[in-house]
Amino acid sequence: MRLHDKKILITGGSRGIGRACVAKMASEGAAVAFVYQGNRQAADELVAESTAAGRDVRAFQADVRDSKRVHELVQELADQWGRLDVLVNSAGIVRDGLLGAMTQDQWTDVIETNLGGTYNFCHAVVQQMMYQRGGSIVNLSSTAAEFASRGQVNYAASKGGINGLTRGLAKELAPRNVRVNAVAPGMIETDMSAAVRGLAGEQIKKAIPLRRIGQPEEVANVVAFLASDESSYLTGQIIRVDGGISLGGY
Amino acid sequence: MPTQEEIFEKIRVALVDALGVDDDEVTPEATLVGDLGAESIDFLDIVFRLEKAFDMSIPRGELFPEDILTNAEYIKDGKLTEAGLDEVRKRMPFADLEEFAKNPVVGDFGNLLTVADMCRFVETKLSSAG
Repeated sequence: MRLHDKKILITGGSRGIGRACVAKMASEGAAVAFVYQGNRQAADELVAESTAAGRDVRAFQADVRDSKRVHELVQELADQWGRLDVLVNSAGIVRDGLLGAMTQDQWTDVIETNLGGTYNFCHAVVQQMMYQRGGSIVNLSSTAAEFASRGQVNYAASKGGINGLTRGLAKELAPRNVRVNAVAPGMIETDMSAAVRGLAGEQIKKAIPLRRIGQPEEVANVVAFLASDESSYLTGQIIRVDGGISLGGY
Repeated sequence: MPTQEEIFEKIRVALVDALGVDDDEVTPEATLVGDLGAESIDFLDIVFRLEKAFDMSIPRGELFPEDILTNAEYIKDGKLTEAGLDEVRKRMPFADLEEFAKNPVVGDFGNLLTVADMCRFVETKLSSAG
């Protein structure tokens, strides 16, 4: 198992892509701690399922915007585990609306959760990973960072910020053998994308060369690869997992 | 409170591990940037290792005030202004800044901090904590 004994922290782990990442990486032998914000029931279920399958998974409640809590949590894990091999920043929200009608809260919630949360966790793990001379950080971006959608300027800005953070941090940490990459999913079947998928209907599948919506597990597979030593020469990259939709053209 | 020799030895280990230099390169007179090749990110690593070695907390920027050295408010024509120098003096009371202050070219700052300065820094921190 390629993630055997890896110590992995995943944010936004109770639902969607984050949940798929928890299941995938635990199934590959990693010890996984995941962070959830509010859905205690989903978190408990995931822990129960994983434990029943003989996997090492535990859940922590935290608001990724809360820098102090994030640092305390990372410290607690680093103390317990003695190291931290992988961070997956998957916590993210949407608060869609046309900019002209977008409230300050819609803007701030998305930027502070998606981009600010990613910053908080990267900031909290960076010294431990530098100290141990190794680690992998995987950030969840989105094709929305580069391909425009109406009503998502806040989300697109947050994910564009994550791309910039990913590349810059990759350069800072490369001399310490800490790799930083991002995965940019396209249209994936999650609760978060349900509204957009509902609006677009079947039409959206025609725009996707693979002619279907992606599954969270298909994103998790790529995240697990980036987390593993199999991607040991890969850093600063934004990997699109989008069924080819970003290819454009006809 | 550890002795000066014990402090120096722990700092030597931290620098050897963080910078990949040889034991004998870490002398009290050695400058961190000029002689030992430290880059800005190395200071983060060094600070973390010192925190672990001495079981103390060191605010970021206290050992190497990069935020001051990159703040346009404190820089004119590539040199630290008098206000900038005052900020650095406040931040780094353990360092001898007078020679640097005569011609405070920002790019030369890295050559200022020596291993001996770092020992004084740790001694100050430990004595104020204890």
